[in-house]
This record gives sequence, C-alpha cells and structure tokens, in this order.
Amino acid sequence: MYNLFRFFLRYHLFILFISLEFFCFYLTYRTKSYNQAAYGNFASATSGRVFETYTGITDYLYLRRMSDSLVAENGMLRQKLLESKYDKKVDSTQVTDTAGRYVQHFTYITARVIHNSVNQASNLIYLNRGKQQGLTRQMGVFNANGIVGQVTYVTDNYAAVMSVLSKDFKVSAKLKKSEYFGNMHWDGINSTTATLEEIPKHVPIKVGDTIVTSGFSELFPRNIMIGTVKKFWTEPDKNFLNVTVSLSTDFGNLSYVYVVKNFGRGELQTLDSLTHKND
Amino acid sequence: MISQIPVNLLRFFLLLMMQILIFSNINFSSFINPYVFPLFILLLPFETPRWLLMVLGFFSGLALDIFLGSTGMHAAACLLIGYLRPFLISIITPKGTEFEISPNIYGQGLTWFAVYLGVATSLYLGFYFLMEAATFLNFFFLLIKIILSAIVSVAFMLIFLYLFSSKKVRRFA
Repeated sequence: MYNLFRFFLRYHLFILFISLEFFCFYLTYRTKSYNQAAYGNFASATSGRVFETYTGITDYLYLRRMSDSLVAENGMLRQKLLESKYDKKVDSTQVTDTAGRYVQHFTYITARVIHNSVNQASNLIYLNRGKQQGLTRQMGVFNANGIVGQVTYVTDNYAAVMSVLSKDFKVSAKLKKSEYFGNMHWDGINSTTATLEEIPKHVPIKVGDTIVTSGFSELFPRNIMIGTVKKFWTEPDKNFLNVTVSLSTDFGNLSYVYVVKNFGRGELQTLDSLTHKND
Repeated sequence: MISQIPVNLLRFFLLLMMQILIFSNINFSSFINPYVFPLFILLLPFETPRWLLMVLGFFSGLALDIFLGSTGMHAAACLLIGYLRPFLISIITPKGTEFEISPNIYGQGLTWFAVYLGVATSLYLGFYFLMEAATFLNFFFLLIKIILSAIVSVAFMLIFLYLFSSKKVRRFA
C-alpha cells in the first residue's frame, strides 16, 4: 500500500498528463461518427455568436462582390421563368396546376455563411440559421455554383455544416450525360478537387463532362451541379474508373447558401428501416 | 507573481481572438496553417508549477477547440506542450543563466527564442496534424505541411513578441 502511494506520488505529473491526454482522445474520436452532438451543439452556439459578430463587421468589405454574384444568380433564375420562354405550341391546351398535380418536394432555406475554412482535414462551415428556422441535421447545402456540404449540428439559431472538403463527407453523384452514378468524396489535400468512384470502365467519359447530384440520397435533389471531370484513368486490376472531379464551388469564397428541406425524407427513412428489418 | 495573472489572462484572450478570427480564417493554402496560440503556454512564468501548466494547457486548448470545431485535438496538443515545456527549457538553457519572471524576448534573446519556439511549435503542429489526419497516409504531404506551418507560425510569434513584449527586463535580485 505504501509502495503504491509512493508510486502515485512520484509519477503524479505523468499520470495527470496521460489521463488528460486520454480524455482528449476520447473527445476527439467520440465525435467521429457525428452522432453524439452534445458538445458540438454547445460549441456551435458559443462560436456561432462570435462568428456572427465578426461577419457583421467584415461583410462591408465584400458587399460589391456579394451583390455581383447575387445579380448574376437573379439573371440566371429569371431565364428560367415561364415569362421569359417563348411558347412554340400555337394551338394546345395548357396543363395547369389546379388539379394538384405538382406537389412541393423540396424547399430551400437561404442562409448566410458566418465562418468557413478550407485547409483542415475536415472543414466546418457555420450558418446563421438553426432549429428555429427549420433546419435539422443531415440536410444538404448548396449555392449558385454547386454543392457545399451537409448540416451536422444545429442549435436554435446556428448550424454547423460538414463541408464537401471533409474526410467523412460522401455524396452520390452521376455523369449528367450518361446517368452513370458513383460515390464522390474529397481526397484531403486540394480544396478544388475530389474523387469520384464506382463508375464502370466501359462508360464513355471525357475531360470536361459535367457531374451532378444523382438524387439517390435524401440530401440533394437531382441535377445540382458538383463539378466537371478533370482527369480519369484506369488501373488494370480494377473494374472501375478513377475520376478526379474539379469542384465547381469555390470553397474559399462562400457567402450565401441554400439549405435543402426534403419533404419526402421521413417517408424514405421509414421505407429504409422497413427494408433493413427484413434483411 | 500576482501581477502575472491579468497579463497572462489578457494574452490568452488576445491570442485566442487572433487565432480564430485571423490565422484560422485567412486560408493561406492547404500547406500553411499558422498557429500562434501555443504562445500562451510558452510565455507563462518560469515558476508556474508543472501541474498548472498542464491544466492551463488542457483548458486553453479546449477553448480553442470550441471555436475551431475540432473537439479535443487542440486540447491534446496544448497539453503536450504544457507537459514538455519544463524539459525543453532545461535542455536549451545554459547552466547558471539568470531568469526573469516570464520568458521575454529582450531577456533571453532572439536565438534562444527561435530554438524554443521552433521546437515547441513543431511538436505542437506535428501532434495536431497527425491527430487531425488520423493516418500516416500522405506522409510527405503531412511532413511538408508541418515544416512550412511551423516556419510561418514561428515568424508570426516573433512578430507578436516584438510588438507586445515589455522592454524593461526585470531580473531576480
């Protein structure tokens, strides 16, 4: 007993060091699954407030650039309006929406980016919207240029988004031309490229082909821009192509984003759990 | 000793704000992530007990983690620096040197500080980046990232020291 006591007395500093270090490791790798969000929620509520104040100040520096991009996007949206299209059909009945044929499937909540990073191994983005504005976890986030990420933590007024530039981010993507789909994830080094996997070897593909979301996951609707094919190559012992995607979103310059609210999500999850129960 | 508390508290908030609002916000490149925050632990008074160094390292790192969303990684790295600091100081300081209360660039000189900050920052960044990557894949990328980030961090730390150090060197009688 005396020896044990003496041991603790002699190595108390080292024991303190090791135990605190283990606690840190526990904190770090516990949140890897992005499931337990208690610490994350507290953290994003605290830092959300600081970042919002800071962005409130620095916003003035980027007003011109921001309004330019908003004007450009307005122009693009205006093109899509029915009024700016010429109706070629001369003599036909129009399909109107009175019979309730179209049901809203997705809505988009606008949000402001209040903190952003691109050079960590897992990058987080903070938004100034949260639970009270209808955000929940696992909603997709995109902007005018392309996809941005996925909501991981929400507090009452803020949300933390796991950026595409994260080790744990995966998205279902397809080639716009041929509809072949695969999984896309970030390679961890360059903030402008990502890797697309599981595209079969026989698929016709060339540099510059557009890659969009497949709509198979509940995160994003179909055909949201992701990027273009930068290069691709095959390895003799594999059945799939290696595709490097040049991302269309400029992650160093994010200001306003859209958060996807998917009305079909609850039903899809029910379906998913039913299918897995019978496995 | 009492007058050291407000000075260090002020330095803690200054470094924390500089780190989260400037250095972690400007995104130089994926190879250069400067971290000036460890300077808080490195500038604590020489007489600080070792257990207090570790406890302060842990909690200051945790504060940084809250803002950078890295849950525990900076706490682990700051803790490591707090634990190793006494060994490092005893290795690089010649025997019989007179000490001030706290490390001071006008007291110890540029060479001593460059070695001190260089070794401590490399350890900090090496530990942090490895924890962040959680893999030895891309080892050369990590190595280059650690070296470049350490050089830039130390340069910023030295600028900070020249800006905010008091020129009056107080020695023990």
